[in-house]
Amino acid sequence: MTLRTRIAIILGKLVSTISKTFRLGAGATWPGEIALRMDPRILAVLSRRAPHVILVAGTNGKTTTVKMIEAILAHAGHSVVRNATGANLDNGLISAFLADMMWNQMYQSTYFIFEVDEATLPNVLKDITPEVLVLTNLFRDQLDRYGEVDSIAEKWLVALGALDKKTTVVVNADDPQLAFIASKLAATVKYFGLENPDLFLPKMQHATDTIYCPNCGARLTFAGVYFSHLGKWACGKCSFVPPAEDITSREVVSPLEGVYNIYNTLAAALTAQVLGVHKDTIHVGLTKFTPAFGRMENIIVQNRRIKILLSKNPTGFNESLRTVAASVDRGPVLLALNDRIPDGRDVSWIWDVDFEFYKTFPKYLVSGDRVYDMALRLKYAEVDVKKTEIFPSLADAIDQGIYSVKENEVLWILATYSAMLDTRKILTGRKIL
Amino acid sequence: MKYTLTIGWLYPELMSTYGDRGNIFVLTKRCQWRKIDVNIEPIEFKTTDKEIAACDIILGGGSQDRQQEIAMPDLLKKGPSLKKLFDSGVPGLFVCGSPQLLGHYYMTGDGKKLTGLGIFDMVSKHFGKSKPRCIGNTVGEVTGINVEKKTIVGFENHGGRTYLGKGVKPFAKVIKGCGNNGEDGTEGAVYKNCIACYSHGPFLPKNPHIADWLIAKALEVKYGKKIALKSLDDTLEWQAQDTLIKRFT
Repeated sequence: MTLRTRIAIILGKLVSTISKTFRLGAGATWPGEIALRMDPRILAVLSRRAPHVILVAGTNGKTTTVKMIEAILAHAGHSVVRNATGANLDNGLISAFLADMMWNQMYQSTYFIFEVDEATLPNVLKDITPEVLVLTNLFRDQLDRYGEVDSIAEKWLVALGALDKKTTVVVNADDPQLAFIASKLAATVKYFGLENPDLFLPKMQHATDTIYCPNCGARLTFAGVYFSHLGKWACGKCSFVPPAEDITSREVVSPLEGVYNIYNTLAAALTAQVLGVHKDTIHVGLTKFTPAFGRMENIIVQNRRIKILLSKNPTGFNESLRTVAASVDRGPVLLALNDRIPDGRDVSWIWDVDFEFYKTFPKYLVSGDRVYDMALRLKYAEVDVKKTEIFPSLADAIDQGIYSVKENEVLWILATYSAMLDTRKILTGRKIL
Repeated sequence: MKYTLTIGWLYPELMSTYGDRGNIFVLTKRCQWRKIDVNIEPIEFKTTDKEIAACDIILGGGSQDRQQEIAMPDLLKKGPSLKKLFDSGVPGLFVCGSPQLLGHYYMTGDGKKLTGLGIFDMVSKHFGKSKPRCIGNTVGEVTGINVEKKTIVGFENHGGRTYLGKGVKPFAKVIKGCGNNGEDGTEGAVYKNCIACYSHGPFLPKNPHIADWLIAKALEVKYGKKIALKSLDDTLEWQAQDTLIKRFT
């Protein structure tokens, strides 16, 4: 280890300790940022010393999948570290390593599970050779920041090409784009997929990305879709066929509502299998799982039940709406749309969300920086104007939501990233129980 | 009298990346709320010239590069029948970098010259890394068509730059944003009753006057007379537009 690296680690650890001691709340990224500025290759050094590193990448489901893997491994008796939600760039990963490292430069924990931003993954793979790399799905998301799905897929294909057999890539077989990437890899590949024809949608949604064959460009055919372009796909033209699954939804029980959470459960269970965890341990571990904040999180405020669903892109939003509609819990729905950097400044995507199919909720409260954009979207979906209320202030919207939700109901809050954080801040001010 | 309009939607599966279908929803609802019947005709590989000729409004959206590559050879074949339609006065709206599609050619960042439909007298060029992408909220003032209220808002996200020839008028003057090329203060272009612009995705929801202009032109061309549109309550639409104009200018 060079002197530079040693100093970078010591500096980073100092910032980490100070931040923790004085509760500065900057510990998720700042220690890593400072160490990174001292030594640009610090991530490689830190990860080489970690016994087991697992990375989770994809558009939706990263945070929940990471937390599920954590729940299983913790139940199996392992000590586990994960990066703070949203701190999924290289500085967040470095910060998590540093926070776990003792002054003798040994780690306290054995398993490091990190969610990685889709655009950052290629760079992270230059420094980290993970034991397991999970690919959840690829959908359009924040096009002003990430660019298009195809360009992310191309970069992944190149970056993942460098992995060898020692890495196991856990892949969603129902996503044709990911199955295609996986088919080109030298790494060991394991597949998961849904086998629940009763959950097929009656027809294709509008918000799909990979419906043309990634191999030959022909239109794929679907025997059924679970949502977006995830489903039982086939290319009638070339030799590219869906891979055989190593685990299917018949073998697991999702601890959360929502079809997308079955995928997250499968990804976590297959990862645990690859790591040698026994099936019974996986099963029990999953029952101990509690949702990450803002991901189907259950909060009680002033004796009223609130469920927050992060909904940040067309596919995520569609699945949130479907989950609310399918839930036994009725109640008003609050839609909060922001357009800050973490949300993506472009809110065009709300027109790809199928509000037309969800017009029967008892009440629609609309808020966020782009409250009028969302209200217009509902107007053109012909949601009853008498059921729609517009609140430029999120605090007012939440007040009204809590006021109008009945005792046996749930206030559903569907929010983009920064709106979700704001919502939690407002609710915390009201004493979360 | 019962009026009916057919909206031709170019490649709904391939060219609809940024919520472009919002434009279809807005035109459809604003017709239906006035008791004008609407048919949506997807224009795809199998669509015939005769079916294109039966359209009263043409809408085009944005696409990813690979999807555009799939659609382009077919679109070039349909070019002459689309041009015939626009020459007869049928209105159209092309969003999201369609200037690159509709002009004479588009020069890519690595110097490849892609032939366009040649309907609009303009050329587009990508300067590679020497000029940054134009990404952000836009505000403009309509100059190319005759509407009472002039302001428009949108969002642009494009790498190419477009330069207009003498055969087209600019659609709008840029107040905030980059527009066609970031140099001459123009945004988009108008040929006859067809609008092309860099504003992408759902352009019509917050610009209901442009939606109504398209509907009015379509009725006028189809039924051979000016037909007054029943006014709608657009309070929410203007509130959405005004909020953004205040915020971004």
